[in-house]
Amino acid sequence: MVNENLVKDVVKEPYKYGFVTDIETEKIEKGLNEDIIKLISQKKEEPKFLLDFRLKAFKKWQKMKEPDWAALGYKKIDYQDIIYYSAPKQKEKISSLDEVDPKLLETFDKLGIPLTEQKKLTNVAVDAVFDSVSIATTFREELAEHGVIFCSISEAVKNHADLIEKYLGTVVPASDNYFAALNSAVFSDGSFVYIPKGVTCPMDLSSYFRINSGDSGQFERTLIIAEESSSVSYLEGCTAPMFDTNTLHAAVVELIALDDASIKYSTVQNWYAGDEEGIGGIFNFVTKRGKCLGKRSKISWSQVETGSAITWKYPSCLLLGEESVGEFYSVALTNNLQQADTGTKMIHIGPKTKSTIVSKGISAGNSKNSYRGLVKVGTKATGSRNYSQCDSMLIGDQASANTFPYIKSQQPNSEIEHEASTCRISEDQLFYLQSRGIEFEEAVSMMVSGFCRDVFNQLPMEFAAEADKLLALKLEGSVG
Amino acid sequence: MEIIEKIKTNKSDNNLTEIQKICLHQLQSSPLPNPKSEQWRLSNKSKLSTLLDYSVNEKDSKFDIPYPKNSQSTIRLIIGENCQIKLIEKNYSIQQLSEDELQKYIKEQISFFKQNENWSDLLNLSLSCKNNILGLKINGSKIPPIEIFSHASSNSLNAKTLVIFLEKNCDLELLQVNLGKENSSLSQSTFFCLKENSSLNHGVVSYGKNRSNLLNSLNVIQQKNSAYNLGSLHFKFNYARFEISIKQSAGNAKTNIKGMQITKKDEQISTYTKIEFNGPNGFLDQINKSLADDKSHAIFEGSIIVPKIAQKTDASQLSRNLLLSNLAQIDTKPQLEIIADDVKCKHGATISQLNEEELFYMRTRGITLTEASKLQLSSYFQEIISFIPISKDKWDLLDKLLNEN
Repeated sequence: MVNENLVKDVVKEPYKYGFVTDIETEKIEKGLNEDIIKLISQKKEEPKFLLDFRLKAFKKWQKMKEPDWAALGYKKIDYQDIIYYSAPKQKEKISSLDEVDPKLLETFDKLGIPLTEQKKLTNVAVDAVFDSVSIATTFREELAEHGVIFCSISEAVKNHADLIEKYLGTVVPASDNYFAALNSAVFSDGSFVYIPKGVTCPMDLSSYFRINSGDSGQFERTLIIAEESSSVSYLEGCTAPMFDTNTLHAAVVELIALDDASIKYSTVQNWYAGDEEGIGGIFNFVTKRGKCLGKRSKISWSQVETGSAITWKYPSCLLLGEESVGEFYSVALTNNLQQADTGTKMIHIGPKTKSTIVSKGISAGNSKNSYRGLVKVGTKATGSRNYSQCDSMLIGDQASANTFPYIKSQQPNSEIEHEASTCRISEDQLFYLQSRGIEFEEAVSMMVSGFCRDVFNQLPMEFAAEADKLLALKLEGSVG
Repeated sequence: MEIIEKIKTNKSDNNLTEIQKICLHQLQSSPLPNPKSEQWRLSNKSKLSTLLDYSVNEKDSKFDIPYPKNSQSTIRLIIGENCQIKLIEKNYSIQQLSEDELQKYIKEQISFFKQNENWSDLLNLSLSCKNNILGLKINGSKIPPIEIFSHASSNSLNAKTLVIFLEKNCDLELLQVNLGKENSSLSQSTFFCLKENSSLNHGVVSYGKNRSNLLNSLNVIQQKNSAYNLGSLHFKFNYARFEISIKQSAGNAKTNIKGMQITKKDEQISTYTKIEFNGPNGFLDQINKSLADDKSHAIFEGSIIVPKIAQKTDASQLSRNLLLSNLAQIDTKPQLEIIADDVKCKHGATISQLNEEELFYMRTRGITLTEASKLQLSSYFQEIISFIPISKDKWDLLDKLLNEN
């Protein structure tokens, strides 16, 4: 018999990224109106087309209603009580990393993100975003040799305006949903990646998002374009300090894959989740979508969601090109009073398109974890194939797990399979492990890690190790 | 508002029963279901309004039973025609529920209604006059099989209501047949209360003719150690909804559901099921099959709700769908909502067409493509039909009906 108490104390490990960096920041006043948007645009010295894009999105946002269909409960967000732009003060334009405020470098060091030259041995290029702006992007010269553009989106607006104008908002239009419209109106920074024709990106690219200020929201925007026959692997990580107020994070990620291109997008999301009573934490409302435009193109999403008080996130694939492939691998862990409504949408439009969905939900404490997915096969998608698998694991008798898969098919010559199961940690397996001398918590940790194996296998190596560790930490003391 | 006016113009206020008044009152606040709600989102609005367009009719036209009784012992009842029954035998008794009992039970049910989920019931109970409500209390053992017919008349909207109390330790086999006429609408609501240790094998066969419509709602409450087996088949309706709500009031009960819907031409048939476990050790095995051909649309939505109290629940739900034409559509949404941790719940869904390898195999053995497809389809149906408690000769009839056109 499992010791109930033992199982109940698993998530005691404090959130180790919860510190605040004391740095002078430049903030604009709270609230949202046309003037604020013009001010953001002006601060970023943006061209007119972008300001128009923002204003148009703002108009649309004003007419929209906050969605309430997700299985989430949170108190109403006051959109006028948020600072939409906050940036660490920098005296002049910096030309090299040495000129970045050492406090910022220290912050990223503490988070385990190597920005300084001597630590650049890991062969991962990093774009570090602090509140609303990008601080530094490493390995740029090396990447440029291969023709790869990797920079913050603000720089891309200045230096590659043509690409931004051509692609921005083509995958997630401003009017797509409430939070995407808000992001389109006020987005501050984010990453831009362009992989030219025939290039396999020589290293993994990575963005690291850090929220530092308690009253400002983070609205980053990421755009990745993979030209014909190119490929890239992109990693994303996020942390935030502990505040007892809720901070809004509404990001938009757009991926575009042309003929034979492949994009792999991995996320380890570890925003501050609030304390045991559910006070504080990030509201994570994210729109992520990829468009497989070209033939045989491939977009793969893998995510490990462990943080945030509220997660509302559905990384999706629009499969337009013939024989294009969409993948979604997800582990979502909720504990205490966390709530997650996450899943994916696979829209099969082109013929012979394929998609795979593997979702693992683990809910512990009083948390709520829902999988919500849509698989749609349109009339032209002959020979399409989808396989979905969603498994949930419940830890403790207060947590809930929901599964809401929507499946719609209009094409007889296609095959769709979905399966889902819910279970708890098997007592037999636990007993077996314990009888072999493995500590209780370690046994639970092993079982959870085994449960998530299908997804972890898809993560880049460094991430997989981090995710495994993260999960073990999060569960410490909560298994019941 | 139209539908309410229709009911009211048909009858003066004084002639309405208390239940009709309560339901009408509830309908008044929202005369039509919310088209954005999950239960009605995919429903074809114009088809629903056609269903409601027919004039309300409380009297039935004479109706011919589609097949003869095969055994003398079978008890056959037609709602709206011979509602008087009192059978007290050595082993069993079948009696009509008294006015009071009926009213009390229906009122209690209404108090649990939710506007969008139970809109069909509200409509049904607003329309059903005394003659069209059949309430039975069944007790004892070795009860002969019962057949209950509901039917609609051409060019009219008919409502029939069935309430059955299955008393403790009672076993019953019940076949319910809903028949649609040309250009007709039938609203059928059924309420079962299965008391402790009782067991019901329930078959529902609904088939229509040209342009017939159906709103079929089934509400079952299962007490401890009861077993409920449902086999259902819906076909040949221009528009049909089958709404199943099963509540295991104290757990420890068994539910088996095997349902099938077949759509052709431009028909739309949908099945909505909601199974709630309000106690531990509940069991559910559900399979729903759809077949959509031509320009038709088949919908399945099933939810399984396992609250904290329902530990050791074992529930599985499977939705299997065949899409046979380029213009047909299938929507399926199996859902799990789980709070209890010591449970085994799973669901699955597939959408595909006929298995090509099997077809190829049969063709290499000299069976024509048409024949091979028919064979495969009939095996697809077989699993469901064999679960419906009907005798062999009626199977043949069903087989014939299924193979028509």
